[in-house]
Amino acid sequence: MTAPVLDIERRLLGPIGPAVPLTARAPLMGGLIEARPIRRREITPNATLVSRIDLTPAIARFVVRPDGGVPPFKPGQYFALGLEVDGALLQRPYSTASPAGTTDEVEFLIRRVGTGSFTPHLWQVAPGGRVWLGPPKGLFTLRDGDERTHLFVSTGTGLAPFVSMSEALMRSPTRPRIVVVHGVSYAAELAHRDRLEAWSSTGRLSYVPTVSRPADPANAGWTGATGRTEAVLDRVCDQLAMDLQDTVAYICGNPEMIEAAAEILRGRGFAESAVIREHYWTAVGPAK
Amino acid sequence: MAYVIAEPCIDQMDQSCVAVCPVDCITSDPSADRKFYIDPDNCIDCGSCESACPNKAIFRADSLPAEWAGFAWVDATWYVDPGQVRAAIDASYPTRVS
Repeated sequence: MTAPVLDIERRLLGPIGPAVPLTARAPLMGGLIEARPIRRREITPNATLVSRIDLTPAIARFVVRPDGGVPPFKPGQYFALGLEVDGALLQRPYSTASPAGTTDEVEFLIRRVGTGSFTPHLWQVAPGGRVWLGPPKGLFTLRDGDERTHLFVSTGTGLAPFVSMSEALMRSPTRPRIVVVHGVSYAAELAHRDRLEAWSSTGRLSYVPTVSRPADPANAGWTGATGRTEAVLDRVCDQLAMDLQDTVAYICGNPEMIEAAAEILRGRGFAESAVIREHYWTAVGPAK
Repeated sequence: MAYVIAEPCIDQMDQSCVAVCPVDCITSDPSADRKFYIDPDNCIDCGSCESACPNKAIFRADSLPAEWAGFAWVDATWYVDPGQVRAAIDASYPTRVS
């Protein structure tokens, strides 16, 4: 594709300097320079915060009830949660941990970022407070009828989509094997631990939580795996004798972990198509 | 800093970006447009669209390749004056991009 798009600039804009802000790049035909009007979406809350369950001061489970019921979604998808802040609608996407088929409420696992522009406001919303909820979105979902072993690798709040996915697979008639690796800094951050341990007790799911700071007093009494997620992942692949030809890996969480884990799996012989990654943190940082 | 959809989208319109955008800020009129457009006022910079696009058409506005710098104007202006943008694209790309 070599069509001269710069013709668009010459014809309509004249030279564009990289320092010119987007808002100044209004229709410039005729030489006028005029800031483009800022449009605002209507800010009408359409959901209610039902509860906030604090795991730590910085990580909580938020349960939200949309006014019109929960729209159909696939395990692994996310919703934009929105608040009115200073007259503008601020939105951030969060994967839901809820099972598909939920009719009344959806749950999100969210980390509070002290310097963020969104989560400090979210933490100020009391139960009963009104919020905005977008439609379910995303392609980080299960493949229909996939009977391969499902290896779910996550850090922190990146566990959320795997709770929803695991619930779906536990009910699936294909009954694939499930392995959940969840890395956190502190044991208290192991969201949905009871649920995952219950599924693990059935023998259908292997749950491998790991804490990366075992020497911290906050982790006193922790007897499970220790170390970073990617290091534990390597051991898990060996200990569980995973058949690489019959396994699909899903990775969600810290972007550095995602790349490190993907590299480990590639090194162990996973095909690129068998390593599925969720990228909702950008190069400039996580959603705050 | 919003994301921008550049030349590789023209006449491709894969739509993966629409499927992943959490705030529905990517749209187009399939009966009249040859690409999708990101609304810079509502883009939340999550980057989902960039990684989802199979045509590698989406960039942060501050990372647009120089030859496609005009697409920041294209996307932003479409939400104000789509007719002007369609005319500009048709003028620059008179034949279908395959």
